[in-house]
Amino acid sequence: MRSTIARMAALAGAGVLALGIAHATEVFDPNTRTWVPYDPGQAIRYYKQHGQVPSDFQRQVVTFRTAEKPGTIVIDANKHFLYLVLGDFKAMRYGIGVGRDGFGWAGIVRVGRKTEWPTWTPPAEMVARDPKAAKWANGMPGGVDNPLGARAMYLYEGNQDTIYRIHGTNEPWSIGLDISSGCIRMNNDDVIDLYERVPVGAKVIVLMQGAALYRGV
Amino acid sequence: MRRILALAATMAASAALVGPAAAKTTVVIGVPDWPTAAVTSEIIGTVLEEHYDAAVRKRPIGTVQLFDAIDRGEIDIHPEIWLPNSSVDVAKYTDELKTLSLAPARVEATQNICTTRETVEATGLKAVADLAKPEMAAKFDTDGDGRGEMWIGDFDWSATRIERLRAKSYGYDQTMMLLTMPEDMAMAAVDAAVALATPIVFYCYAPHHVFALHDIVTLDEPAYDPATWEVLSPDVDPAWLEKSKAGSGWEPAYYHIGYATDFAAAEPEITAFLDKMALTAEDAEAMSYAIHVDGKTAKEVADEWMAANADKIAEWTR
Repeated sequence: MRSTIARMAALAGAGVLALGIAHATEVFDPNTRTWVPYDPGQAIRYYKQHGQVPSDFQRQVVTFRTAEKPGTIVIDANKHFLYLVLGDFKAMRYGIGVGRDGFGWAGIVRVGRKTEWPTWTPPAEMVARDPKAAKWANGMPGGVDNPLGARAMYLYEGNQDTIYRIHGTNEPWSIGLDISSGCIRMNNDDVIDLYERVPVGAKVIVLMQGAALYRGV
Repeated sequence: MRRILALAATMAASAALVGPAAAKTTVVIGVPDWPTAAVTSEIIGTVLEEHYDAAVRKRPIGTVQLFDAIDRGEIDIHPEIWLPNSSVDVAKYTDELKTLSLAPARVEATQNICTTRETVEATGLKAVADLAKPEMAAKFDTDGDGRGEMWIGDFDWSATRIERLRAKSYGYDQTMMLLTMPEDMAMAAVDAAVALATPIVFYCYAPHHVFALHDIVTLDEPAYDPATWEVLSPDVDPAWLEKSKAGSGWEPAYYHIGYATDFAAAEPEITAFLDKMALTAEDAEAMSYAIHVDGKTAKEVADEWMAANADKIAEWTR
C-alpha cells in the first residue's frame, strides 16, 4: 500500500534537492506587517524579557476556511502554526516548534494514542551522538525536565506508529523555531489544551510546504 | 434479461386486463463513488419515483464495472460519464456494442493552474507562463532555495503526469519545485496560505468546492491547441517526458448522463427527461461544496437542489 507520508514523493520527480541550505525561521511582525527572521538567540531573549513567546505563537482562535471537518489538525511547519479546526471556519491556532535539518516530513496521519507526562526514550542515533541522551537510553520518566513535556499525542499511519509525536517541551522559548527531532513541539499549556480537545483517531495533516521540503523527507 | 422479464410482466398484466400502470417499472441507477454522481443519482431517482411512478434501485459500483453492468442489462442509468476520460469505454459500448447511449446535455469540467486573490495582489501573478520567470517563481519559495513550490496533483493521477509535462513545456519545471501529494494536503495548504495571506499556486480542476471556499483566480494561458500537445505514455516510450509536450491549456472535459439503449426504447418518457436534464458547472460546484464543506449527505443535497429548482424539474419532465 502506498504510504501517505511523503518521505520522497515531493522530491523524486523534482530532480534537484537543495540540501543543507541554512533556513532562518520567520515570525510575523505586526508593526511592519512582514515576516522577519527569527533565530534561537532572539527567541531566548524575547522569552526572558516577556515570560512568553511572541503573540503570534500564542494560542488564539483565528479564521480558517477549510473543507476539513472540526477536530482535524493542520500543521503548517513552515509558519510554525498548528491549527485545530473548530467549525464555522474557525480554528484554534497554536505556535509550534518543528524538526531541524534531516528530520522534516509531511503527510496525512492520525492521533494513534495519547499520554500524560510521557516517558521519553531517545532514539538510538541520539543516544550515540549525545551523552545527555545516553543517560536516558532506557527511558526518562515523565516530568517538567522531560523534553516531551506535559502531554504527547503519538502519530500513526494506519496502525503503525510513525515515531513522530505532537508533544510538550521543557524549553518553552523554542516555539517558532526548527530545532526538534522531527516532532511537533508545543508549550505545555498549549499541549494540555490540545490534548483535552483531540480524541484518539483525529486526522492530522502535516503540510509539505516549507520546513519539510529540503530536509530529506 | 431484466428487461425481458419486465416486458413479460407487462404483457401478463395486459392479458389480465389490468391497466399498464400496475406493472411498475423498476429502474436501476449505478452510483459511482464520488459526490456529484451520488447527488445526481438521488435527483434522478426522486424524479423517476415522483413523476414516472418508477420503482428505483441505486447500486453503488465502480465506473468501469458500471459500463459492463449496463451492457449486461443489470443497470439502466449511469449518472456521470466523463469524456474524454472514459472515451475508450464509451466508444466500445455506444459505437460497437450499441448498448449504451449518452444524453446530449453535458457539464463542462476544466483543469488549470490556480492561485488566490491575495497572491495576485501581492505578486502580480497573472499567467501560467509567468511561473517560468525566476523572480516570480521565487515569490513562492517556502524552503529558501530560491525556487518556488507548487502542487501539481496526487501521486497516481493521470493528470499529474500531464502537469509535469506542461511545466516542462512552459519552462517552469526549471523555476518551480513540482510537488505531488494527496489532495487533502494540497487543499489544506491552500487553506493555510489564505489564513496568512501567503502566496500559493497550484493545479486545480472544476467543478470543485475550493472555488466556493476561497477567492480563487485561474491563471491565463493560451486555449487548448492540439498542435502544442503531444503526450506519449511512459509505457510506450521511457523517454516520454523529453519527447512529449503540452504547451497550452487543457482541452475541456465534459460529463453526461448515460443510459442503456434498450432502456431508452422501453421507457421513452423517462429517456426524454434524462435527455433534458442539464445540470450546470455551478450546480456541480455547489453540490461538491455542500458535501465536502457542509458535511451534508447526497440525499440532503439532492432534496435541497430539487426544492430550489422545481421550475427546472417541471420543464424537464413536461
